[in-house]
Amino acid sequence: MQASRARLFKEYKEVQREKVADPDIQLVCDDSNIFKWTALIKGPSETPYEGGIFQLAFAVPEQYPLQPPQVRFLTKIFHPNVHFKTGEICLDILKNAWSPAWTLQSVCRAIIALMAHPEPDSPLNCDSGNLLRSGDIRGYQSMARMYARLAAMPKKG
Amino acid sequence: MSSDTITAASVPSAPNARDLGKKKRGFSELLCSSNPNPTASAMSSDTITAASVPSAPNARDLGKKKRANRSAKLKQCKLDARREQWLSQGTAKNRGFKEEQSGGVQCGKGGNRALENLEMSSRGEDMDRSIHRDSDLDSPSNSPTSATSSVLGGADSSTNFTGSGSSGSSSSSSSGGCCSGCITEDEEGGGEDDGDGLDDWETMADALAADEDKPQDQNPSSESVAQVVSPRQATDGTGLRDGNSKLECPKMVSGACGNSQAWRPDDAFRPRSLPNLSKQQSLPNPDRYYGGGGVAWASKSVVSAPSSCPICYEDLDGTDSSFLPCLCGFRLCLFCHKRILEEDGRCPGCRKPYETDPIEVEASVNGGSLAFRLARSCSMITRS
Repeated sequence: MQASRARLFKEYKEVQREKVADPDIQLVCDDSNIFKWTALIKGPSETPYEGGIFQLAFAVPEQYPLQPPQVRFLTKIFHPNVHFKTGEICLDILKNAWSPAWTLQSVCRAIIALMAHPEPDSPLNCDSGNLLRSGDIRGYQSMARMYARLAAMPKKG
Repeated sequence: MSSDTITAASVPSAPNARDLGKKKRGFSELLCSSNPNPTASAMSSDTITAASVPSAPNARDLGKKKRANRSAKLKQCKLDARREQWLSQGTAKNRGFKEEQSGGVQCGKGGNRALENLEMSSRGEDMDRSIHRDSDLDSPSNSPTSATSSVLGGADSSTNFTGSGSSGSSSSSSSGGCCSGCITEDEEGGGEDDGDGLDDWETMADALAADEDKPQDQNPSSESVAQVVSPRQATDGTGLRDGNSKLECPKMVSGACGNSQAWRPDDAFRPRSLPNLSKQQSLPNPDRYYGGGGVAWASKSVVSAPSSCPICYEDLDGTDSSFLPCLCGFRLCLFCHKRILEEDGRCPGCRKPYETDPIEVEASVNGGSLAFRLARSCSMITRS
């Protein structure tokens, strides 16, 4: 537990130092609890999520970094690997492929990569997965675009 | 081994030594009843015995005084915590110092610490602060040298420390007057430092030698102190250095006892790492002294700085950076490696399970040799 706290503190410092380095990710630690983090990530370009800003919630276990953090989308997103209602993310590095060498920052990067490259074969959002698996790229893109506009972009006047 | 260093440090600063004694109360029963001085027995020089003989009753008196104090224990806990802190900060510094161990640097450190104590006692700082600093200086040597660390060191260093404790208190009580003389002399002569903070010992030894000539020495014990310090420095060397440098030490001792000077400038055994004394004639400037030392340490740690552990982000020490647990080359500290072995046992770099076989083999080999050695020693005992 002490180790996780120390590590998170170091990560916090690292994040403060490299704020400018990765403009797509904004990692913020909860003021009162270092085990709760939120992240704002920009939707990757050339995807339906481009221009959207998605909020992630991190719940870091005390065994961190030996155990992966629990991450979910707070912003609604239409993506085959993200549960539409709970925001749960199906990503191998958050499950069995986790390595203690990963950081919260690198998890954010992995999630951005997942947004750009969905894996329809292990879907949490069956509608989205089915659209992709049936080859209806356009249908998937328009649905994803619509939800990104609805949930992840500032409302236009 | 390291306890000798502290003796050298605590000898010249009488009030400080007594304060240290207060701190040690938790385990002082052992210390104070002890007059067999390992230093004296090892060196068997009469100056030392002269110094240590009056020490026994004094130490006993101190021991009586020491008994009732509970708050000292509490303070000790705090000090331990602080020391941990400093040690963790000093781990980076360690490496630089370790590399130089062959060059008489240890002695320099001893003197350094002594100077430290001198300055502290002359300034009359409170005890917490001084211990704090003391352990700061100790931490680079990575050995249980300071009073607090000796507490932590426990049984393994207790025998050594016993002797040093008694002799330290003896000099503090028997030669308080001359110590102040040493202090001033030393501060005049050797406070200035070029930043590496290693050469103060020599300065002090010379200052002590000069002190002998002074008419102001009112009691003979001052002389004995001056001489006691020198051989102790030598024993310090024997303790802290490795095999080949031990050969040097007897010569150093004889030289030290002969003219009470650590090394003459043209001495063949003078370690090259010691700079010339001519550099340090200016007045002491403690602030600059600390600052310079810090900078030197920092630069050293930069030179030998390994990367930090990617898991816990702590700096890798020497053992860690030579530790290669996985063929993929992913390095991590031993602590994290152990934690991972306890959990899923896969390398964080390549996610393959760690191969624990080589480590087990090594352990068994070590165990075997240890058992063999034990058996041999047992047989020797039975024979004799």
